[in-house]
Amino acid sequence: MTRLLELLKKESLAVAVLALYGWAFSVSPARAMRALGAAASTLGEVALIIFSVFLALGLFGAFVDKQAIGRRLGEGSGFRALLLAAGFGTILVGPVYAVFPLLKAFREHGARPAVIVTVITAWAVKLPMIPLEMRFLGWRFSVIRILLTLVASVVLGLVMEPLLSWRLPATRRRLQADSVTEGAEG
Amino acid sequence: MHIDSTGFVYLGVVAAAYAALGIKAPKKVRGAAGAGMKQLGSILPTFVAVFGLVGLFEVFVPPALIERWLGSSSGVGSLFVGAAVGSVAAGPPPAAFPIAATLLEGGAWPPAIAAFIVSWVLVGVASLPFEARTFGWRFAVLRNGLSFVVAMLVGLGVGLFL
Repeated sequence: MTRLLELLKKESLAVAVLALYGWAFSVSPARAMRALGAAASTLGEVALIIFSVFLALGLFGAFVDKQAIGRRLGEGSGFRALLLAAGFGTILVGPVYAVFPLLKAFREHGARPAVIVTVITAWAVKLPMIPLEMRFLGWRFSVIRILLTLVASVVLGLVMEPLLSWRLPATRRRLQADSVTEGAEG
Repeated sequence: MHIDSTGFVYLGVVAAAYAALGIKAPKKVRGAAGAGMKQLGSILPTFVAVFGLVGLFEVFVPPALIERWLGSSSGVGSLFVGAAVGSVAAGPPPAAFPIAATLLEGGAWPPAIAAFIVSWVLVGVASLPFEARTFGWRFAVLRNGLSFVVAMLVGLGVGLFL
């Protein structure tokens, strides 16, 4: 019973869409069939791209040496570190639940807050998925969106940093204590 | 139904990458393929559901409705709606593209759709508590708030250059 509930929760979107189709078929079977046909044909057209996207995701996950990049991100402090961060964010793959803890580890290894924000923002580029985006929205749309996202990632990092370091005195003392321990470890 | 060339080209590129890397590290490459397919398998029901939703959208949502909420006549309002819908939606990133394409065909303003895509991947209302636990509330709220603004600005930029 709990397993069934878990499954329903995990696939809540699929359940909701099934319910919507149930409603659609009760309202107008002809239009519901048209919707189903449109869905199947769109899925069929891009199935190969989606398959390739996930093959590429696997490759990125296995061959991008996250720890080595993390060390380099921690060493650099200038503008170049932000460019490196934007590049890393672009090739970084994985769900939120894997990426955030990884970036937290980078932060603990000495990466600037701006670097972390830039990586998260550039992560929105989703390099392995670009062919899918181009297929649906056109290459011009995709290229412009990606370039602007990369510019935004560096700007957002630089804007966030002073906002983050502006802290209550108590928090500042705690953070200073943290950074002293980090320095001792390094 | 026609399968366009993008899929074949991309599959070719990925296969070439696999072959090149496979010569040096065959085990790692097999692991990569396995991990990718496992991920695809776990996301597949959601994917099929998204395309089902796109089909329903095309047939049942009147273009006038899309026009009204996301059309160019609403200007900044539709940018905001696009970014807001993207923030609340918590789906796999590649699912944003078919939905975006349907909205565009229905008469949505391209900047609003760009804002929708950027906020889909950058702003996560659902993952906010997790982000706050990892980086602290100030970081999470600031980053998501500013990313919402960034989504709208990138949207405007797309409109400017498209």
